[in-house]
Amino acid sequence: MEKKIKVMFRKSIMSSSLVIVSMFALLAFGNAYAKGIRTAAITGAGKEVSVPAKKGPFRIGFSNGFSGNSWRAMALDALRNAAKNNPDVSELIVVDGQGDVTKQVGDIENLMAQNVDAIMVIPNSGTAVAPVLRKAMRAGIVTVPFNLPVEGGQYHAFIGTDPSKKGYATGKRLAVELPDNAKILAFDGIPGNSYTAAGWKGAQQAFKESGKNIEILAFEPCNWQEDKAKVIMADMIAAHPKIDGVWSDGGQCAAGAMKALIAANRPLIPVTGDDYNGILKLYDKYHAQHSNFSISLISEPTWQSVVAMEIAVSLLKGESMKAQQIIQPKLITSENYKELMRPELPDGVFTDTNLSDEALRKLF
Amino acid sequence: MKPTKSFSTLPESFNRIGAVWFAVAGLYALASIHSPAMFQYGQVLNLLQVAAFLGIIAIGQTFVLLVGGIDLSQAGVVTLVNILSTSIMVGKAENIVEAVILCLFVSLFVGFINGLLITIFRVTPLITTLSMNSLVYGSALVYTGGMPHGKIAPAFEFLGQGHFLGIPVTGIVWLTLAISIGYASLHTIYGRWIYAVGANPQAARLMGIPVNSVLISAYMMSSLFACLGALVLTSYIGLPSLGIGDQFLLTSIAAVVVGGTALTGGVGSVFGTIGGTLFITILSSYTRLINQPIGIQFMLQGLIIALSVLMYRLVQKNRLG
Repeated sequence: MEKKIKVMFRKSIMSSSLVIVSMFALLAFGNAYAKGIRTAAITGAGKEVSVPAKKGPFRIGFSNGFSGNSWRAMALDALRNAAKNNPDVSELIVVDGQGDVTKQVGDIENLMAQNVDAIMVIPNSGTAVAPVLRKAMRAGIVTVPFNLPVEGGQYHAFIGTDPSKKGYATGKRLAVELPDNAKILAFDGIPGNSYTAAGWKGAQQAFKESGKNIEILAFEPCNWQEDKAKVIMADMIAAHPKIDGVWSDGGQCAAGAMKALIAANRPLIPVTGDDYNGILKLYDKYHAQHSNFSISLISEPTWQSVVAMEIAVSLLKGESMKAQQIIQPKLITSENYKELMRPELPDGVFTDTNLSDEALRKLF
Repeated sequence: MKPTKSFSTLPESFNRIGAVWFAVAGLYALASIHSPAMFQYGQVLNLLQVAAFLGIIAIGQTFVLLVGGIDLSQAGVVTLVNILSTSIMVGKAENIVEAVILCLFVSLFVGFINGLLITIFRVTPLITTLSMNSLVYGSALVYTGGMPHGKIAPAFEFLGQGHFLGIPVTGIVWLTLAISIGYASLHTIYGRWIYAVGANPQAARLMGIPVNSVLISAYMMSSLFACLGALVLTSYIGLPSLGIGDQFLLTSIAAVVVGGTALTGGVGSVFGTIGGTLFITILSSYTRLINQPIGIQFMLQGLIIALSVLMYRLVQKNRLG
């Protein structure tokens, strides 16, 4: 009994200190958008923005660059759920650019013609959508790009992660795990994409600062696909007797590379990636047998679509905020991976989500 | 009646088949000198394992090119088969047969519709198969809602990940299929029909060959081998992936053409495609190992493919006098 009370007491102290810490965090972040905080802090930066308040409920358009992968599908599903349950949103109109830069510009023009109150965008090209977003802004529509950046800053607010900071953080952690004179393989996503390029630059900066001699055997695009990563890694294994680590910004690349090592009976090595369930499950299964196997992962939260909508609604209600809302997801390592792993769900799930297991099971 | 082109071009096609092997040997020697890792036994086995996916798919494409067509829907079929097979198997051995049969059926149906549109409705092969590719890929997207699920059964792993006497099973499957189909296409009546239809469909019709049926069957073969290649690839990776087929959209055609099969039809062989597949696989592996930026790799790949085709066209011209 006494023990129970002690535990309860400890718990209540812990929870109240958590509340205090969160309050301090909010104060520290100042102008950060706070409502949507889920598993990560969001910090505000850049100029202060606001628009004249409008009366709700609002009609919101979302121009999705494409919809062909599970990350996009989860982000969209979370957004649809949130819109349905938000009394300030009367309608959510979703248009799909099908990966086509020009089609997306037309899509946004169409949303403008439908007189929506706000337009959310994940751009196929950050330069191509800039002029049409500026046009929408001038027409009095609140514009909120998210996930991938838009050039020139001609929009109201952007929400997303900072890929170069993410790359720096995973690179820094990987460098700690690597021996000196290490040889590593790095993966690009789709060849020439700016997201991975920024992350890779951050990682290389961290390697340099680590003071260790890290040799890059190759920087190869695997299109964020396990099969391609496995084929590339198989080539590398055959060619190099020693590979000490793998850097990538996608868990699929990391998982594919580890599967190639398993197939070749080679020990598993330190890898980086994101919140792809496949790599979390793989780590859980193999880390006991492979002492050198470690993970340094940073998520790209799918719930950012919901925060983007909340930002749009707040702006429409006349609230002011910083134009750059940067999500800062925490590093996932061997110590905390179980918080994010979903052992019962398919590998393709991105686990930093606000969707329940049940909702995910329905989706997959 | 003029003699059909197929018979007069048979010696020429043998000539072209020979040329691709010179190109493969030359490229392999060059790659091994530049990057000695290419010469290791482990790398040879690895090349054999990964070449098999493209190799099996390209067998089917060879038939379509031989009849003077082109199949751009193979990429979509690969993706659909990957998605269907994993979602039906869901990791259980008892579902393997059902998954494989359904995939074969769906693929043959896709090939049949391609053939039907091209022969009966006279839609050009390029447009037919390109639209079919969109249709098939789109249905994979609709089926999964963008979120593919499922995985292969452990018992199915042997096909893509297993070894027999130290040799990858994928390589054994590929070479067995390619050699037997290659032999059959040169020594059976059906094989001769394929060449005759590709060389001159009018003449073939006058000779009493059921041209439309042969054309439809060629597209069905193409889909069938796309399906077989996809099953082997799915077994290799174990999971569904919506982008898995994209890499074969043009490489399957490149492997066949580098292997000496003419885009105009009637000339070439499955044996040449084995060489073409090895050429493309060695090339991508080689450019990967020399650690150059991806842009340089693409440029090198394009340049070497163009140069090799040009070179052996010249060799062939000289030989023919």
